[in-house]
Amino acid sequence: MSDKKIHEDQKYIEGLLENNSFIIQAIYNKFVPKVINYVKQNSGDSDQAQDIVQDTIVTIYNQAKNKGLQLTCPFDAYFFLLCKRKWLNTLKKNNKKEVTINEEVLSKGDSAHELAIETALFSEKQALFNEMFQKLGTACKDLIKATFKIKSMEEVAASLGVTYAYARKKKSLCIGQLTKLVQESPKFKQLNY
Amino acid sequence: MEDQDYILFDSYINNELSETEILAFKNRLKTDKVFAENFNLYKEANLFLKNKFENEAETSAFKNNLKSISNTHFKTTKTKTERPKHSKFFRLGQLAIAASVAVFLGLFIYNQVFSKPGYTDYNTHEPMTVVRGNVKTLIEATKAFNNKDYKKANTLLKQVLEKDPENSELQLYYAITNIELDNFTIADMQLKALINGQSAYKNRALWYAALSKLKQNSNDVSIMLLKQIPEGADDYKEAQRLLDKLE
Repeated sequence: MSDKKIHEDQKYIEGLLENNSFIIQAIYNKFVPKVINYVKQNSGDSDQAQDIVQDTIVTIYNQAKNKGLQLTCPFDAYFFLLCKRKWLNTLKKNNKKEVTINEEVLSKGDSAHELAIETALFSEKQALFNEMFQKLGTACKDLIKATFKIKSMEEVAASLGVTYAYARKKKSLCIGQLTKLVQESPKFKQLNY
Repeated sequence: MEDQDYILFDSYINNELSETEILAFKNRLKTDKVFAENFNLYKEANLFLKNKFENEAETSAFKNNLKSISNTHFKTTKTKTERPKHSKFFRLGQLAIAASVAVFLGLFIYNQVFSKPGYTDYNTHEPMTVVRGNVKTLIEATKAFNNKDYKKANTLLKQVLEKDPENSELQLYYAITNIELDNFTIADMQLKALINGQSAYKNRALWYAALSKLKQNSNDVSIMLLKQIPEGADDYKEAQRLLDKLE
């Protein structure tokens, strides 16, 4: 992606990262009405559209924060594709029939499509990690939380009442355990690992 | 993977290996496919956890802000689009009345459309009543403000604020005098602080920030600010009226 030019709409991504209310408001004013229409035309209502939009913005925020998202296409196309994908997934889950899929002018090869797929994949991976993290034992969860919040392993060990060497080793094994759970999940293969 | 492999992954990620160990590690990544795959997944898990817990507070602040903007947005679009449905006859009746009234309203609407709203249509400020503390300068400032001597009020308020910088009421009135005097940078900065704060003047600050932008002819920004004024705020109705004119 590094060889592609960054689109001027990157300002929206930066605005989200700064938690800039004006930018968020601008996204709602400019790009959300189209999503609401789409959801309403495809067996949804305004409340459902609100959830889809909110989820999508959080996904974009997370990707920007964690992976330095760089927009190579207009925000409008990227955002709409993501919302649309999310809505279609919701419909699939709820087993609702008759989805009018209005395939847009966008063809599969364009950068909005590529970027939307990348973001969607990122979001599904995050969801999988999250789900598996919840399955870890309490001791592992507490240790991992403490490790990333406190940062100094000495303090972590002291706060949990264990030795430094034990905390150090246990942390690696707990993260290892998390990767094992992820690998064993049926979703893992679907996510192109 | 064996336990020691995970320990090795972690040491590598945290830069705790010696040069020879790093070389051996990199070699194994090249030759052992399973080892490399597992390492990549470990790295990904590590990054995921790092972001999840290190950015927790920031992410939750973002989500809260997003939620409140989203709620306001959806509330206003709903009230705009979802009007109560009436019977056909009632609607026909309404149409007939509307048609006859339209003639009389013609001139009025003409005026509304062709004379764009400006700051001076809205700068009737609530009189200043801050006399707490009985400070002489403050009383002078209040008098000046209420007599529309904004230059004098501005100077005096600035002095009072130096002694009482956290007073949000004074901050608001100081900002108003700055709008009046076209000191927009100071006014907008002061109002932004109030908007982001938790004082009782939060929403009124939004209203004045919108008026400031109106005076600066930045109608788009003004619209954005007006839309953030929640229902129930003192200036909500006035804000909606101005919005209708601007949009």
